[in-house]
Amino acid sequence: MRFFRKMAALAAALMLMLTTTANADASRTFFAMDTVMAVSVPDAGEALLSACEDEARRLEALFSVTQPDSEIARLNTDGTVRLSGETETVLTCALEVADLTGGALDVTLYPVVRAWGFTTGDYRVPDDGELSALMERVGWEQVVIVDGAARVPQGVMVDLGAVAKGYASDRLAALLREGGVSSALIDLGGNIYCVGAKQNGRPWRIGIRDPKETADYVGALSVTDRAVVTSGSYERYFTAEDGTVYGHIFDPATGRPAASGILSVTVVGECGLLCDALSTALYVMGVDRACALLGARADVDAILVGDDGALWVTEGLRGAFEPMGPYRQATIHWIGEE
Amino acid sequence: MMKRPLFNRLPLIALTAVLLALCAGAALLMRRDAAPRSIARIAVDGETWREIDLSAVADETSFDIETPGGWNTVTVRRGAICVSAADCPDQICVRQGWLEGGLVPIVCLPHRLVISLVSGGEEEAFDAVSG
Repeated sequence: MRFFRKMAALAAALMLMLTTTANADASRTFFAMDTVMAVSVPDAGEALLSACEDEARRLEALFSVTQPDSEIARLNTDGTVRLSGETETVLTCALEVADLTGGALDVTLYPVVRAWGFTTGDYRVPDDGELSALMERVGWEQVVIVDGAARVPQGVMVDLGAVAKGYASDRLAALLREGGVSSALIDLGGNIYCVGAKQNGRPWRIGIRDPKETADYVGALSVTDRAVVTSGSYERYFTAEDGTVYGHIFDPATGRPAASGILSVTVVGECGLLCDALSTALYVMGVDRACALLGARADVDAILVGDDGALWVTEGLRGAFEPMGPYRQATIHWIGEE
Repeated sequence: MMKRPLFNRLPLIALTAVLLALCAGAALLMRRDAAPRSIARIAVDGETWREIDLSAVADETSFDIETPGGWNTVTVRRGAICVSAADCPDQICVRQGWLEGGLVPIVCLPHRLVISLVSGGEEEAFDAVSG
């Protein structure tokens, strides 16, 4: 009898080993919000991964500027729309960050970005006349939210592209936690959310892409339960006939691609939505204004890569950020250092 | 209680040894599977279209992929893969150049094409890449 018990125990151990391995990298890759999304959850069932995919598509249907039935598309065509609680949350956060950053994030830039061809791939440089006419339609202060309804003047268009993925990462993380998941990695096109720590209890190790050599890394970031969002113009850009390179992050003050001296901004925090909004805004603000804002906040950390190769890193990431390659020799300015 | 003689316990010992050997074998197989290889996975709209062992590619070769959104020409050589041409409007996939390591995949959003390395050196270093 004892013999059979031992046999059964060993067989069970063997089975457990094999099933654990089979589930070890349960993941789902799908397209939504104009990017590739991947959710990796150790030991997750298909149902939970499907729920994540459905959730991303549900949010896309709310926020999309191109799906005609979305709340944002209806706001842009009708000038007013009743907002769901979620769209109101996202739009309100975007407007608060616009206010906080002196308009460095502006959700009404869409007509300008579209004229440059970044929404279609049909790139061109608008002339000054066209640009100044389009800039008449830009200004986040023109978006009004009253009693759950949003309103914009005719011609003003809202695009939540700079914040939607951040909110989606928060929602997917919440969905997984509600499903009992304590360890997962959400990658929404380089917009990362780490749920908990790795299964072995160690922090997640996130590579920060080098904006100059995109196959390399600025460094590694060790984080637990944090969103890690990077903005840079190195992926979406075009080269005009005169050789000038134009990136996809725009300065709302000029209606032209931002040239602030920053090549990339990585923001780390508990709220993916806030990190996403700030990463775009800080990129536009430039080093001095970005450092002033970051030095006054305790809820986010950041890494700025300057066009001279120098790094600006908040004190909160000391010990968590490890520069790599040529950045080991880079000057690191610590933000918030006494 | 009298201790049973050794020969009565021999079948148990033998079977335990066989099971342990099986476990060790399985563990070794898993380790071998986890060892760094250079497998490129080409996926269209989330579905794997083909996997290619890049370490087994002898000569540089190209082939076309027809997606519902358009075509991409993929070129492989030993240890590397790239999109060498495509009819997508933004050409981001072509500009990404050769994928030889790392976690950042080649992506053609208009055609919903993703080329990633299933296993490679950098995977051990990072869990994900931001940027």
